[in-house]
Amino acid sequence: MAVAEFSWDGSKNRFAFPGAGVARGKLSDQVLIGNARWFIIFRWAVIALLIGFQIFALIASDTLTTIGITHQQGWPVAVTAILSIANIFYIYALDFRPRTKYNSPSINIWAQIIVDLLCLSIVVHFAGSIGTPAPFFYVLHIVLSCIFFSTVESLIVTALVCCMYGAVLLVENPMLFLAPQSVLIDSGAAEVTPLKVNILLWMVTLDVLFIIVWYVVSRLAIVVRTNERHLMDAYKQISQAQVEKDRYGVLMTHQLKAPLDAIRSKIGLVKGNYCGEVSPEIKDILGKIDDRAAGMAGLILDVLKLERLKAAARDPNNHECVNIGPVIRKCIDKLAPIANSREIKVNASTEDFLVQCIPGQLEILFENIIANAITYSYDGGSVEIVSKLNRQSSSALLTVIDHGIGIGDTELPHIFDEYFYAPRAALHNRTSSGIGLSIVKTVAENNKLHIQVASERDVGTAFSVLFQYVGNALDAEKGMQQTNPGKYVAGSQGESLEHSKGGCQPA
Amino acid sequence: MHAVADYKNTDQLTGSITAKQNATRRIAHIDDDPDIRDTVRRILTANGYAVDSYQTMNDFTESLWNTTELPDLAILDVMVETMDKGLEAYVEIRSRFPKLPMIFMTSLGQEIRPYFTGLSDEWILIVEKPVDPMSFLSIVRSRLEDA
Repeated sequence: MAVAEFSWDGSKNRFAFPGAGVARGKLSDQVLIGNARWFIIFRWAVIALLIGFQIFALIASDTLTTIGITHQQGWPVAVTAILSIANIFYIYALDFRPRTKYNSPSINIWAQIIVDLLCLSIVVHFAGSIGTPAPFFYVLHIVLSCIFFSTVESLIVTALVCCMYGAVLLVENPMLFLAPQSVLIDSGAAEVTPLKVNILLWMVTLDVLFIIVWYVVSRLAIVVRTNERHLMDAYKQISQAQVEKDRYGVLMTHQLKAPLDAIRSKIGLVKGNYCGEVSPEIKDILGKIDDRAAGMAGLILDVLKLERLKAAARDPNNHECVNIGPVIRKCIDKLAPIANSREIKVNASTEDFLVQCIPGQLEILFENIIANAITYSYDGGSVEIVSKLNRQSSSALLTVIDHGIGIGDTELPHIFDEYFYAPRAALHNRTSSGIGLSIVKTVAENNKLHIQVASERDVGTAFSVLFQYVGNALDAEKGMQQTNPGKYVAGSQGESLEHSKGGCQPA
Repeated sequence: MHAVADYKNTDQLTGSITAKQNATRRIAHIDDDPDIRDTVRRILTANGYAVDSYQTMNDFTESLWNTTELPDLAILDVMVETMDKGLEAYVEIRSRFPKLPMIFMTSLGQEIRPYFTGLSDEWILIVEKPVDPMSFLSIVRSRLEDA
């Protein structure tokens, strides 16, 4: 006996992702590496500032003395040297050494903070531990540790800062924490007390400030990280929902189209005399049934296509460099049987140039435009495809011209509306799905293309697509050499349409 | 279970390849739609091919594992039994019989293409249903010649 259990209660884990909650407050290694690099760059800026200060001190030491800054003892040189050597060491550990337990991005940042705090303590000691802005620079490291580390780790850094500042004050005043024992004997000792009070006041005030800064910034960091995690979760859910939606769309399309395909396959059998000889009248009727079924099948596929095009626009990193020439030639090859069946000539004189677009979408755009030009031409007519490349402005105009039924003035503004069809167009082509130009519009929106349509009733229509920032056609060949010939290219006629990554070179 | 329909009828034929030339050409066709199976069988048998029709991918793969004589061409449906069964079977068959030529025939045509991404880097021929006798025969002949 076979037993199968079914459960649809996904509420428990529905929005839970692996690791969520476990690494609470911790940043990923990738983010930490980014932060470590930023910290290194920031340190180079500080080093440059210190070098600038030293040069200025050499040139105008009198001016510095006048404004109260004494340049002595060469501590800026020592701090600059330590920071520079340390920075080189961080880069070496980050980029040239394998990641180990003792060479992680977290340890790298810890080392940076500790060395920085030591250097800052030297600066504080020489620049003035009280009465100067130098000790306030400790705040920077507390803020950074709150951003880089968990709350507990940033608290450790804060404690370290308090200790270091205390150590600096203690080194400067070894008797700081000793009570005056000889006040009555030595009246001079009593005079030191206000200074001690002042130092202790500075220490306590700054330590309180450090802790307040830590508390406020670490709270903010927690809020930011929580929101960031929520955003990432939401993004994952949206991506997953998109995949599910696409699968559902594919399934529905298949279920709707499959019966039509079976019917049309049977019609093909009868028309092909595979079920015996059939009269021309019956063939004619079957042809009309087939045409309507083809229109319906086309509409079903177009709806899926349109949904996918809209979804593709949500991915901001999906643009690649595509050579327009092979795209046009492929579209013409694909549509040749339809054009030939109505004795319509498709004349193309286009130049090859590169454009940035979402792969595969240009083919959809031009297939629709050229198919429309053929559909709404008169039998025996012609369709011209021409391109005009403007090398100065790095733009190109590709125009598809037909000499067919044209579009009326009142209809022209609505041709890109979903499910819109002009009565004259519907009479000319009963199988139109009404969303072909909506697909064109979506592709144009996704790829930031400008389309101009000029039309006159019973004279014809010209669809012009304007491409900005086009690339040199010669680069297309290089791009094609980088292609993967194993990938399936629908309806391929031996000409690869694969894309070269890395953007289009100016024409 | 699968039905095996060998070539018997030469009367209806318009194709250029004669029955004699195709007598040894055996084509496996897998589709869960009986009407499509019937259409393909009629077209191919009428043109001199031997057709093994299968309703499920499992039937086909089992027959492949248990035979020493492979078909000359396999025409696979993509969404048969489950959404990806055809693709999964393709990958499995390709790994065991890399020289067996295959064609995908699906109602979705090119729109199934995203499902191939990452599944196989092989060149895959996808034919959109419905089955138009003329173009279908042309594709089958071309694929057999290339094999």
